[in-house]
Amino acid sequence: MSKIDFNQDNEEYFDVLREIGNVGASNASAALAQLLGRRVEVHVPKVKLLDFQEIGKAIGGEEQIMTGIYLRVEGQINGSMLLLLKKQAAARVAGILLGDPDRDPKAELTEIECSALSEVGNIVTSAYLNAISTLTGLKTLPSVPSLCVDMAGAILSVPAIEFGMMCDKLLLIENRFSGTTDGYLVLVPDIDSYDRMLEALGM
Amino acid sequence: MKKGILIVDDAAFMRMVIKNILTKAGYEVAGEACDGKQAVSMYQELKPALVLLDITMPEMDGIEALKKIIDADSSAKVVMCSALGQSSMLIEALQAGAKDYIVKPFQPDRVLEAVEKAMK
Repeated sequence: MSKIDFNQDNEEYFDVLREIGNVGASNASAALAQLLGRRVEVHVPKVKLLDFQEIGKAIGGEEQIMTGIYLRVEGQINGSMLLLLKKQAAARVAGILLGDPDRDPKAELTEIECSALSEVGNIVTSAYLNAISTLTGLKTLPSVPSLCVDMAGAILSVPAIEFGMMCDKLLLIENRFSGTTDGYLVLVPDIDSYDRMLEALGM
Repeated sequence: MKKGILIVDDAAFMRMVIKNILTKAGYEVAGEACDGKQAVSMYQELKPALVLLDITMPEMDGIEALKKIIDADSSAKVVMCSALGQSSMLIEALQAGAKDYIVKPFQPDRVLEAVEKAMK
């Protein structure tokens, strides 16, 4: 039976998960800042337990168009990670990486820009997972990234469906960035992995 | 002009970044491959002086490609490219015969240092 009871107050566990998010996001933001040569602000992480119908509204608003970079996480922590960038932030990041910081933020992403953003997802999530691995002693292996541009709700439905195979709610750790990279980094471990992370930290 | 290098990464953007670093430093890029399978076949065809090989790729990952390249040519010089946090895979790669590794996001000086060291 899982340590986290989805029908009760889990504040004690959520506090530990927020700290996990904090450590991961600090490392991820440092990698992002190094990659872009710009300062990246990180907000206090949130741990959210959501009903499926709330998922779309939970991050940035259901109909907000976002660029999502999705990776599966395997190893001793299994689950999904998503880097979600608001449309104009994704264009800005791609422009900086490709030496055209003043590109039209409303123009569609080109193939090479999509490739650049996929690599941003790869580097940022790897930095995030590396910090969590160091903290917990649990190994993590991110998959090859996939990129899509869609409404936030549609992008989030991917990890939600995977999590939904085990539970009718979604538990996620959300980290928000602002500044050049206006967006979110979301970790959705599966239920067993939450238990493993908590146990590794003595809970 | 220095000898040719084969760049292997599934992300076109990363291949472009590495290519820029190498060509600015006077290296010749022998070719580019987007997965491990293509890397093995291009290595046989081009016999480059060095391979810069990403780890996480579709079709065939960098570790498997490294083993196949070393099996075919024990003198092959390969430098692995990885994102932070793949230390166990990097150890496996070094044990399998990789000369060195570089970590993303790339620092041009570090890339060139690893390339120069591996090509000696």
